[in-house]
Amino acid sequence: MNATPDRDNGTGWRMLVAGTGGQGVLTAARLLCDWLVDRGHSVVSGQLHGMAQRGGSVQSSVLVDCGISPVMPRGRADYVLGFEPVEAARALPFMSSRTVVYVNTAPVIPYVLAQRSVRDGTEAKYPDPKELADAIRAVTPHLFTFDATERAVEAGSAATLNMIMVGCLLGSGLLPHTADSFWTLVSNKMRQDLMDVNQRAFSSGVELGRRLQ
Amino acid sequence: MSASPGHEILTGDPGTRACLLGNLAIVRGGLEAGVQFFSCYPGTPSSEIGDTFARIAKDAGVLFEYSINEKIAVEAAFAASLAGARAMCGMKHLGLNYAGDPISTMPYVGVNGGMVIVSAGDPSAITSPNEQDQRHFSRFLYLPVFDPATPEDALSMTRYAFGFSERTNLPVILRPTTRVCHSSGMVEFGPLPTERNQIRFEKDPPRYVPIPSNAQRMRLELTERFKRAEAELEQSGFFPRTGRGRSGILAGGVAYAHARQVVEELDLYERVTLQKIGAYPIPDKVLAEFLAGVDSVLVIEELTPFVEECVSLYAFRQHRQLPVFGKHSRHFPQEFEYSIELVDDAIRAYVRQERRPRAAATVPELPSRPPVLCAGCPHRASYYAIRKVFGADTIYCNDIGCYTLGYGEPLDACDVLLCMGSSISQASGLSRVTGRRTVACIGDSTFFHSGLPALTNAVQADDDVTVIILDNYVTAMTGFQPSPTSPPHNGDPRAPTEPKAPPEDTRGPAIEKAVRGLGVKRVFSVDPFNEEKTLAALKAAKDGSGVNVVVSHAPCAEVTRRRSKGKLNKPLAIDQQRCNQCGLCIRLLGCPAVYVADGEHVIDESLCNGCGLCARVCQRDAIQPVAAEGV
Repeated sequence: MNATPDRDNGTGWRMLVAGTGGQGVLTAARLLCDWLVDRGHSVVSGQLHGMAQRGGSVQSSVLVDCGISPVMPRGRADYVLGFEPVEAARALPFMSSRTVVYVNTAPVIPYVLAQRSVRDGTEAKYPDPKELADAIRAVTPHLFTFDATERAVEAGSAATLNMIMVGCLLGSGLLPHTADSFWTLVSNKMRQDLMDVNQRAFSSGVELGRRLQ
Repeated sequence: MSASPGHEILTGDPGTRACLLGNLAIVRGGLEAGVQFFSCYPGTPSSEIGDTFARIAKDAGVLFEYSINEKIAVEAAFAASLAGARAMCGMKHLGLNYAGDPISTMPYVGVNGGMVIVSAGDPSAITSPNEQDQRHFSRFLYLPVFDPATPEDALSMTRYAFGFSERTNLPVILRPTTRVCHSSGMVEFGPLPTERNQIRFEKDPPRYVPIPSNAQRMRLELTERFKRAEAELEQSGFFPRTGRGRSGILAGGVAYAHARQVVEELDLYERVTLQKIGAYPIPDKVLAEFLAGVDSVLVIEELTPFVEECVSLYAFRQHRQLPVFGKHSRHFPQEFEYSIELVDDAIRAYVRQERRPRAAATVPELPSRPPVLCAGCPHRASYYAIRKVFGADTIYCNDIGCYTLGYGEPLDACDVLLCMGSSISQASGLSRVTGRRTVACIGDSTFFHSGLPALTNAVQADDDVTVIILDNYVTAMTGFQPSPTSPPHNGDPRAPTEPKAPPEDTRGPAIEKAVRGLGVKRVFSVDPFNEEKTLAALKAAKDGSGVNVVVSHAPCAEVTRRRSKGKLNKPLAIDQQRCNQCGLCIRLLGCPAVYVADGEHVIDESLCNGCGLCARVCQRDAIQPVAAEGV
């Protein structure tokens, strides 16, 4: 497998979480922020999402010990969590040959495709996932793809997708803190009735991240 | 899992380091200053400020309200200030315009308790019909403006602004932009005050009544106050200067954060002097000291060349000749947010360093995800019926809210749009001038915000307009804040509204009563999911002359979904044996739950709310509730 790439910014690092509204992108970024602050880092996080409706593109950057600007500079993400194939590809301008990318292969079909299909009479298709992966691979060799939605459902709820994705990054061992320290912090804030399902999802993600190296 | 900001804003100990959303940092800054009154009208990117106050107001001892509009929010807060309270308002940039009338005279009257108006800006018009630069308020209304670059600034400036307002006897504006409001950054909590301002209103009409004879006196006082504000700002600490180089850089707002990031990464402090502009008016002394150490100036600020013109004018007044690079020199655009790449390139060019190489990634063509009315949204049912009755020739005047998404295909119910409340007045104007049929569509919250005066006007003018009020019992677009038709909230204004609340049970004025009270004779109430009755009412409205009002009541589908923690109606499914892929359900409705897969038209069960609209559109009876398991 590929060797662990150097980071762009010495001791600090930049992460991008990308997905669609309702997938838990902002929550994942929020939890990463809280955890890394707890671990003693200076964190800046920016979010970009359009109007309040569900289903739109959502990107959130988590910039760790990198200065005060809240935006992700182009070509300088160290880690990208793509909650959805098209949204991962949309984050391409932020990737470089050093970027490690985890992508959930389960698509969220944009509703405009159905509109286009019936209007034009030809089926407007969701982009071929393989071509999307190839486009990312053309930029960075460090791409890992898997069906995280299926894993989330196996853990007990599709809503735990964000725990699978974050677990996967933490399980990789690429960040300088243990996955356990994340869970300890997060579980302290979590509602009791949500604990089990989220813990199963997080562990599943961590286990996957350990394997994908 | 999902997480929501809890009460740590209120309970966090002094010295706590946290990574806080800019809007929450503003709330904490207000609390540390001992804010006693908060009012707002929601608007992206400001909404989380009010929503957070709504959650904590009771525990924090803050009088809170979601006001009916920004003008009212400002007037109520100003009154609180006159009674000694530290008062704060929240709104977006456009709300500041709506409140412009009271705001323009407030500096004349002056304050007692500190007064801070937070008006969040939206460069690039990401969630607004325009972008605008509120810093100009400092000039044309003599209102000091604080311009945070980071959440840390947002906290410290808010905290500082209340005392500043009291010392200068001026209300102030805090102008965070989207990248400050919706970014999180490191802040350190300060102590919460143990004492707060005493509340006491003493009558003093010459002081509080700006009739012309008093206003003329106040005008002279205002000049003095604004001078005092400039002197105070000199000492504020919001104009830090770093570096020793002869190449000067002036930067404000989030552009300062980008500039500092670049200067630090390139280690340029020997070559440049970076001067931050954190507030307006810019004290002359700040510019004098900065200009004394530099041979040229690069100005980095989003939107209008405001700082650029301030420094150019100051240099001119001082007979100082030096190059000023910025927007007038076309080094920066006047439009839109700055990317950090733009700032990086400009600073490198300025210090004659090579541009950072940036590989252009080849991004494949990707489908966009434009915002869309949710599955099960009652506005879709309303629009479907409206278009069916009023057809393509009618001019559709739309308004600001989720229902603006009636724009474009397939609902196509938005021909003109301007601002909050404009649908009714535009329908009036178009009807009078063209003689054509006009329909105005406006939501419940927007109707009370500024639609009421327009409707009164239409009644007075006896215009031929049909006004359709889309009442979903909530201000949905900005995050489900209560509207005047929201059901009673038992003291917690953030509690979601009851699903399917009958309009008779509403807390506020029933829209129909208000409308009839204005003199509208033809008022119809419908449930948009009752197609037969809705069509009949719309036809009756279409056939009637003068002002006709149809109120379409149905709860917001997203509020219903959240509240029920699941679904109320069974999702629907398309029977592939019956479906002939005619596409009517997709083409007419544009519901995000219906998609095409391998030639088949399919409903995404996880999105479908079972509203049944597509089943009624289907001519082959192919859409039915999902069969219960085991049947």
